[in-house]
Amino acid sequence: MLTSAMVQEGIEIAVSGLTKRFGPVHAVSDMTFDVRPGRVTGFLGPNGAGKTTTLRCVLGLVEPTSGSATIGGRAYRDLEDPIGTVGAALEAASFHPGRSARNHLRVMARAARVPQSRVGAVLDLVALQADADRRVGGYSLGMRQRLGLAAALLADPPVLVLDEPANGLDPAGIAWLRDFLRDLAADGRTVLISSHVLSEVQQTVDDVLIIAQGRLVREGSLADLEDPASRGVLVRSPEPVKLREALRSASITESGSVDGLVRVVGVTPAQVGSAAFAHGVELHELYAEASDLERTFLELTTEGAL
Amino acid sequence: MGSLVGSELLKIRSTRLWWALLIGAVVWTALSAGITAATAGMEAGFGGEMAPGVESPELLRTVYSAGFSGGYVFALILGVTGMTGEYRYLTITPSFLVAPRRYPVVVAKLVAHLGTGLVYGVVCAAAAVAAGLPVVLIKGGEPGLLADGVPRAVLMSVLAVALWTLIGIGIGTLVRNQIAAIMVGVLLAFLIEPLLSVLFNYLEWDAAKFLPSSASQALLSPYDVGFAMLEWWAGGLVLVAYALVFAAIGVLFSVRRDVT
Repeated sequence: MLTSAMVQEGIEIAVSGLTKRFGPVHAVSDMTFDVRPGRVTGFLGPNGAGKTTTLRCVLGLVEPTSGSATIGGRAYRDLEDPIGTVGAALEAASFHPGRSARNHLRVMARAARVPQSRVGAVLDLVALQADADRRVGGYSLGMRQRLGLAAALLADPPVLVLDEPANGLDPAGIAWLRDFLRDLAADGRTVLISSHVLSEVQQTVDDVLIIAQGRLVREGSLADLEDPASRGVLVRSPEPVKLREALRSASITESGSVDGLVRVVGVTPAQVGSAAFAHGVELHELYAEASDLERTFLELTTEGAL
Repeated sequence: MGSLVGSELLKIRSTRLWWALLIGAVVWTALSAGITAATAGMEAGFGGEMAPGVESPELLRTVYSAGFSGGYVFALILGVTGMTGEYRYLTITPSFLVAPRRYPVVVAKLVAHLGTGLVYGVVCAAAAVAAGLPVVLIKGGEPGLLADGVPRAVLMSVLAVALWTLIGIGIGTLVRNQIAAIMVGVLLAFLIEPLLSVLFNYLEWDAAKFLPSSASQALLSPYDVGFAMLEWWAGGLVLVAYALVFAAIGVLFSVRRDVT
């Protein structure tokens, strides 16, 4: 699919103590994290949390007030082959509306001494070849996203930084993007994507960084944050005493009650349901709690909205 | 650097603005050359001095170097949009991602616009001759293309048009809003400079001749319109100085600024 089959050596993005103030506004405060190769990392947070500013600091477009961001140990500005090292797509609108997609890519290829044959290759890759000679002004948001992705992939870089790449894509496009990014990570590439919509990237990412109000509030692998063991099941019955007996006999441990619902952990709703059924207990509600990740994200997003 | 200049030239060529501006410059040049030749030897009106006839080298210089007066504002707009377009359409992001030290991008932009400005200047000079020559002949004059100072004035008109693209890039760096930057550039050329000239004359400061348009005019050694002018070479040096200052502004302000 891509010209280089495997990336020889993974390149890590390292952000350390990154702080950026715009006048009185603390856009990013003391942000520290690493992004590992071979994985897709989701950079999540509500709009205005500082995601784009952080990415722009990583890419040398914004000068941090303090702290640093490096790619393979070097600041972006010191990279010998910048777009051959990091491919970036920052906003879906960074194209001249009067210029064709092909010419947009040719302008970049020319400047970076990338062979012009790559222009056709990346246009094929994002399925824009048929529309490549039309002016970008007439493109849909989804087409612009794909053009941005084509530009990021132009020099076949081992690191990809994509800001809200799923924004404006239809469900089929999101599914395509998911497979595409997973393939890139499987090649050993470092893939960092931001989003303000958890569900857009939940099935794409391996690692998660959640930020709010310019600070990193949670980081870890998706598997850890979505650990089903930490996920409770809530059940409501008009016969709570009989329900508790039923649960005890199925060795399901109760971990308290919430608003009149019995909360149990370490089991699936199906196990709870069959235990109740076996004892003839009537149930009115039975559902799994939102995962830690979803809860955290929802809390943050709600705070952001207030 | 060669690849960046090639990229900048491709940026200019791959949208339609450059030839729309060039058409405007050609039309204006042709009108300016034609009218100057047609009104040769006539009273200017309002008690102004009489323009010299078609036989005088001063008038011929003015006619055949009309590519400057017709083209420089369009060259200025080309330079302004060459910079502000990058901020307006956010293409400055990919431009700086390719060359994160930034100043090579801006230097390449200056070189590419200077080159395109030279093309504008040559086309406008051709338009000035094409429109002016028939009128000169109709009025019974000699072609006079090699008359005293005419070749130099034509050559200088080409250079002056090209240098105004650099002034445009400097203005575009200072005023990143495209419409505002074009307004600033055009107002500077058409309103602020003439007003400053009047003010300087009123104050009896002999400074108006150092303003960029006046210095450019001096470069062409046109006929005397009643204002003090520098020698052609001094005018040229002043214009080059302006272009360098604006080019330096373009480089310095682009390199440090956050791109958000």
